[in-house]
Amino acid sequence: MAGGGDPKWQKDASDQNFDYMFKLLIIGNSSVGKTSFLFRYADDSFTSAFVSTVGIDFKVKTVFRHDKRVKLQIWDTAGQERYRTITTAYYRGAMGFILMYDITNEESFNSVQDWVTQIKTYSWDNAQVILVGNKCDMEDERVISFERGKQLADQLGVEFFETSAKENVHVTDVFERLVDIICDKMSESLDSDPTLVAGGPKGQRLTDQPGQGPPNANCNC
Amino acid sequence: MTRYDRYSLSTDQQQQKQTLNSPSAAAAADRKLDTVAVAPGTTMTDEELLLLERANAERDEIFLRYDQGRKCDSIDAWEDPMFEVYTQADRYGFLHPVAPAQSKEAELLQHRIEMERVKKWVKMHKNWDAAATKENLRRRVMKGIPDRMRSAIWRKLLDLDRQIRENGGMYDRMLDCARRHSPDIRQIDFDVNRQFRNHVFYRERYSVKQQSLFRVLAAYSMYNTEVGYCQGMSTVAAVLLMYFDEEDTFWALDVLMTNQRYAMHGLYIVGFPKLMRFLAHHDRILTKCLPKVKKHLDKHEVHSVLYSLKWFFVIFIERIPFSLCLRVWDIYMMYGERVLTAMAYTILKVHKTKLLRMKDMDQVTDFLQTSLHKQFGYDDDYVIKALQSSMDELKKLKLLNLPPPSANELPTMPRGQTVEPSTKARIGHRNEQFSEREIALKETVLYRSESKNEEEEEQYNNGVQGAGDRAATAEDEDDERTEKDYDDITEDTVSQLHTVSDMDGGSITKHSLTGTSVTSTNDISLTSYDRTCDIFRLQASGQHPSSRDPPPAGTTSAVLLLDQLAAQLSDEELSSYGAAVELMLDDEEDDGAAEAGNPVQRTKERDTGDDVSLVPEESEERELDPMEQSATDPSPNGQTNPTIMLHSPEQQQPAVDEEDEDELTEKQLSF
Repeated sequence: MAGGGDPKWQKDASDQNFDYMFKLLIIGNSSVGKTSFLFRYADDSFTSAFVSTVGIDFKVKTVFRHDKRVKLQIWDTAGQERYRTITTAYYRGAMGFILMYDITNEESFNSVQDWVTQIKTYSWDNAQVILVGNKCDMEDERVISFERGKQLADQLGVEFFETSAKENVHVTDVFERLVDIICDKMSESLDSDPTLVAGGPKGQRLTDQPGQGPPNANCNC
Repeated sequence: MTRYDRYSLSTDQQQQKQTLNSPSAAAAADRKLDTVAVAPGTTMTDEELLLLERANAERDEIFLRYDQGRKCDSIDAWEDPMFEVYTQADRYGFLHPVAPAQSKEAELLQHRIEMERVKKWVKMHKNWDAAATKENLRRRVMKGIPDRMRSAIWRKLLDLDRQIRENGGMYDRMLDCARRHSPDIRQIDFDVNRQFRNHVFYRERYSVKQQSLFRVLAAYSMYNTEVGYCQGMSTVAAVLLMYFDEEDTFWALDVLMTNQRYAMHGLYIVGFPKLMRFLAHHDRILTKCLPKVKKHLDKHEVHSVLYSLKWFFVIFIERIPFSLCLRVWDIYMMYGERVLTAMAYTILKVHKTKLLRMKDMDQVTDFLQTSLHKQFGYDDDYVIKALQSSMDELKKLKLLNLPPPSANELPTMPRGQTVEPSTKARIGHRNEQFSEREIALKETVLYRSESKNEEEEEQYNNGVQGAGDRAATAEDEDDERTEKDYDDITEDTVSQLHTVSDMDGGSITKHSLTGTSVTSTNDISLTSYDRTCDIFRLQASGQHPSSRDPPPAGTTSAVLLLDQLAAQLSDEELSSYGAAVELMLDDEEDDGAAEAGNPVQRTKERDTGDDVSLVPEESEERELDPMEQSATDPSPNGQTNPTIMLHSPEQQQPAVDEEDEDELTEKQLSF
């Protein structure tokens, strides 16, 4: 199902080109650099002839991780609030989120909590999140210190990077780390309940606070 | 340094700003200030006051930068793209890293054809209300408005002169109002900075056209406060600005937004209600006319919202080549919204074979989102002929017109009122919860992407059985109405849409949508969660989630909505599919004469004829569908059938020769 549907860990039997496929989403306020970040990673390019994303786009990249071919399907989303109705529909089935803000834009940083709420509400429980402060090449215009970013990430219980799509700083690192923590989560789930392809027992939620989010009682998985 | 510090204007800057405002604008500002409706006395916290002050300062500063234009001293180096990598601009002003491929001869030929056409268009433009113009307009629009005539003809089609005559001074008032109050300035600034930076008009930061684009969008955000500003509008306005000046663009944008023929208002308001209608109709057309493609796309999880959103939101800009896109815009200006779903169908139809060969979602999406923009694979004239055929075919099937709009797609408030936005909107807080309308859209998107064909078909069939006759009558009437529209287009081009008052329970504005009940949000999260669990359970037991019934509670609204849509349909199921096939390539009467003497064209027609002859095969396949659908056999029906071959794009002959002939013949005949 386009974006919706089941988290897909195992390869499609007909496709011999990869062992796993992970669906990842890049989210965050408008103009924080989501599309540039994706282009840097997928095409290793950066252009200052920016475009705004209307709706939702995606790119694919296959990486090798722990001797496995992992196909990453990376979805790039429109940041304007009005589009969240479309974009949150694609949260379903996403295994990882790159939640991005712009270190030169306080508003985008202040919205991080809102985005986290959206992830909690609309995504799969085991989805992994990395917080990313982009545009770290623009030191002169920085308004969010590294420490503030790190502190927020710690508070949310997620990992944190500062990146620059323009200067290619830590872009690949973010994706590699996200793939790693998804792999960890996956093996953890499979170890504890091999009968399930996906789902598995409840893992750590974003902040792992009991009583938050949807109740578990009705779920047999 | 905090954001607040950055946006505190110095006294010097303030004075500078004063001198930049023209005296008349300042005077108008003073006048308008009194009429601005101030929000009822609300008490604000210190923090809110601080944020509000910051938002106001930011808005002022952005305006200041656009006022200064290129003289602005705060242009960051990175804001001016390094365009020395570009060497060539095409005829429309887009810059390319390498020169456009067209040969000198082809360019000259095209130029010659256009010059011939310009004469006819000048004549038509001069005698706009004449009967001959009325006769010729339809046919000639399909051949493309010569680029140098686009501005004048679009102006007529949109009836801009009347708009401007009847709304003197409004644009300046709204611009002034935006300067003081618009809550959308930040987003507009972001998007102007990212709009067509590969075009000579927009490549330079704060260039004259960037200034105009910014002001048009800012003013419109205050003129039509229900829409405000939504991403996508900058694209539409930027194209209009290539052909119109600033104020004309403002009114052209308003006509596209609010005139019934186009009614893009419903696309851009919160919850995108018209998008739902477009998607449902598009899927209906595919199910009926391209069932194999539909199944293929479904199998690979390529759902219409993914590839067609931009087709509908920005009328194919940056999804098909710009020259072709302008041809579609010409036809859209003339016929309105029905062109969008017909063109969407045409794109998939002409690329059917290619699509069926593609084996995964990535390929299909990349093809539809990126490749077709770079290289469509068929020349513009061919595609427009195919579009004409599609429109004829869909008309026969009663699928040309979309089902009537729901009430909430239309403006509910008079435009041009000076209303002060809420503090929350001005500060720019994101709403934590979804409005009812947003929930409806989200559930529909989810539902559409998770339902199998069977479910949808069932919904659709139920609806048709339930209200078949009534709906058929409705659509006939609708057909008549719009046919009349075609005929009257040169006389009464545009009738302004009346604002609908108190529709849907009253004041639905983006500002009043903030108070959504907690319960509904909880419902959704529970539903999503339950459904996720269901999916896991079913996966474990080898079932597919969609095979279970009834659908979960959360989809109710979507189901109801689809039911309503289906109920509005005519009994298309009964209409003869075969009859449409004959008409699929029924060319314009006047083209016949030219084609008779043109071997190239005749060959092409035969090729296309072969292509079309495959349709009955699909028709048979369709009859089998219910059986296939009832079976759980997962074997896809959408596999490539090697016998179904569209002629490849490489085989396409350039159509310029034919057009030339065509033109000359037409000239002999009509003048």
